[in-house]
Amino acid sequence: MSRQELISPEGLRVDGRRANELRRISCRASVLNSADGSAYYEQGNTKVLVAVYGPREPRNRSLAQQDHATINVEFNIAPFSTSERRKRSKGDKRLLEISSFVKQTFEGAIQTAIYPRSQIDIYIHLLQHDGGTLETCINAATLALVDAGISMMDYVCACTAGFIDETPILDLNFVEESSIEVPNLTVAIMPRNGNIALLQMESKLHSSKLEDVMELAVEGCKHIHRKLDQAVLVAAKDLADKLSN
Amino acid sequence: MDVDMESQDTRDIASRIVTPGSVITNDTAFMRGHGTFAERTTIYSSVAGAVERINKLVSVRPLKQRYSGEIGDIIVGRITEVASKRWRVDVNSRQDGILLLSSINLPGGIQRRKSESDELQMRTFFAEGDLVFAEVQSYFADGALSLHTRSLQYGKLRNGTFVTVFPQLVPRSRSHFHTLPCGVDIVLGVNGYIWVSKHVPASKVEENSELIYSDKNEFISDDERETIARIANCIHLLNRLYVKITDTSIIFAYEASLTHAVKDLLTREIAIDLAHNVKTRLEQQS
Amino acid sequence: MVVEIEPSNIEREFLLEALEKGIRVDGRGIYDYRTLKITCSPTYGLVEVQLGQTRVLARVTCEVTRPFPDRPTEGLVQFNADLSNLAAPGLDSSSGKPSVQEVAVSRMIERVIRQSRAIDTEALCILAGEKVWSVRLDLHFLDHSGNLIDAASIASIAALRHFRRPDVTIDGEEAIIHDVNERNPVPLSIHHTPICVTFGFFGSNGDLMLVDPNLLEEQVQVSSFTITLNSHREICALSKAGGVPLAPSLIQRCTQIALTKVDDINDKIQEALMA
Repeated sequence: MSRQELISPEGLRVDGRRANELRRISCRASVLNSADGSAYYEQGNTKVLVAVYGPREPRNRSLAQQDHATINVEFNIAPFSTSERRKRSKGDKRLLEISSFVKQTFEGAIQTAIYPRSQIDIYIHLLQHDGGTLETCINAATLALVDAGISMMDYVCACTAGFIDETPILDLNFVEESSIEVPNLTVAIMPRNGNIALLQMESKLHSSKLEDVMELAVEGCKHIHRKLDQAVLVAAKDLADKLSN
Repeated sequence: MDVDMESQDTRDIASRIVTPGSVITNDTAFMRGHGTFAERTTIYSSVAGAVERINKLVSVRPLKQRYSGEIGDIIVGRITEVASKRWRVDVNSRQDGILLLSSINLPGGIQRRKSESDELQMRTFFAEGDLVFAEVQSYFADGALSLHTRSLQYGKLRNGTFVTVFPQLVPRSRSHFHTLPCGVDIVLGVNGYIWVSKHVPASKVEENSELIYSDKNEFISDDERETIARIANCIHLLNRLYVKITDTSIIFAYEASLTHAVKDLLTREIAIDLAHNVKTRLEQQS
Repeated sequence: MVVEIEPSNIEREFLLEALEKGIRVDGRGIYDYRTLKITCSPTYGLVEVQLGQTRVLARVTCEVTRPFPDRPTEGLVQFNADLSNLAAPGLDSSSGKPSVQEVAVSRMIERVIRQSRAIDTEALCILAGEKVWSVRLDLHFLDHSGNLIDAASIASIAALRHFRRPDVTIDGEEAIIHDVNERNPVPLSIHHTPICVTFGFFGSNGDLMLVDPNLLEEQVQVSSFTITLNSHREICALSKAGGVPLAPSLIQRCTQIALTKVDDINDKIQEALMA
């Protein structure tokens, strides 16, 4: 198997970024009319669309909780999202795992006790896959939840980081992620107090290097927080102007 | 977006747009209301919206939110389920509303007591899918709205079409049932559900109370249908451009739309144009 | 539909109060594992692990198959986990979709073994592009009494190290697979031994922690974190999903504690395999 050079001698990665550079982020809230909240999020070439419905009457009343809302996440990868068309089955364990992670992450961030006996549905669609699936899903879902007016303790911002040639690198793209030699760490934090809502790592990393890689990822998360906040303020000011007329 | 609020200046606190996790104030004199949470002595916002301050109460109103009912609200709902002595009604809120059998008008006179056969024949009154015009009477212990239709103006809706808008655009007012000069009745539910129908004279309704649960539509002429469609499209475009939906704004929109064909009202350019028109007229009026 | 019974409020409070004093309900210290018993059966690749009351059976089998076209010199490794009503009520998969725990455990094991390249897949190649070994690991959960992931990881790696595949001689273009009675079967080539250590967190900030939660502790915990290490002090996987957000310093502490635990468990696996 040929080994591509993931970092050039000048310190440039395969897409021309430096080790601690994030990909370009562009995001917009309120993109869907019929959803209570929605967001479109792009990080580099990875594109995600999220729709949030709720809180609303639970579909299955037997699953309704008496003292808090239940969160339901469905994650879908579009067959056209990768370079080769591939349709995944609904029961695909990878998809279920990601849905489960997103659900658990937001259970710690949304104030579900305010919405008893109701259900919050988060539908995520990955439209283009270029690495960072879990991080972009979480960021886009945060934006959509804020857009829907659902009470949250704080934003949840996620970022990936890895380690190539003794250098921690930020925000892995598809090529870097697929390389089996590169450890892939995804961190989601609540920026206000820096607490970790989600932490996933694959592939080997020496325990002494963990702190550096995590620190880099947390920095990335803080940057993403600023971007998300900007998008929310823009949408909010826009809506406030329109409604006050 | 963390602006530390040390100052007591009330102008600074209110009407500021905040986002989840941002600090509203550190002052312990304030109490926290909806849309906020407190950690130790600091009050943080939990939604994206404008800060509101009423005396010592600080709250944040999110810009978009599901309808949450208040007692006395006039709403339009759709029956989703027929249960024992009650109906479940979708009211565009966090939970379905409940319409009790004891809260509706029974045909044959207002004072008629409900009988056992009524309990067994609930579908002859309201069945799944019917639209009902009701008022919020109270809350159940779990927060669900309890509705009633104990007035002849309330009840089953027919002869028309249904439009959904953002609940924030329907202000609470004295009356939610209007007859427009063009010969169309509108029902503006505060929950964002609106019913546009053919005008039926009130006297006709009172005459025959047996027919209040009839499922048959009256005869509606083509002209009447076109007018109903035009009004429905006007409401759509008002909703699209966030104009408050009242009988006045609908009438203004209708008048401005007469120069266009009904279906053209859905195109973006014409919609923006007409909405501006309406906004200008509303400003002039006030 | 059978539902798992939630612990009563009184059990919950008792557990939390005891934990605040540093005592666990079953008498263990907060960093102690339950009794670990690894039984390697005479059949190669069949290992049963008992961690306290939790019981897992791991079975490794292999067969010859064609490799993937884009990876002609690599063998295949497949994982399957079976978590059903046998292990605990409320875990039925009658809806067709695997349950949340089953997905979590099987994905974790897959990540731990496949992503960290514990097995040398190139050594599984017989004839490049035509024949490779496909190794299949089946996990059967017999009893769920908390901390399935740790038990499963121990069972998996022990089974893989215990397993012997038939010996192969290459004669030009032909491969001769020797019967196990003819020639001794050979072990798999395993690079390193990843072991999972799971922590449970309690309290409103998650500041009370313990290692190897049993069933009651798992039901009461507010957060959970699994770290997978090998004997070379390399982290093979990390997983913290959901629950109360934790401070980064807690994560660091867990890493230090896990390093000591992994050595102990590794020794136990060695002992069991020698026997």
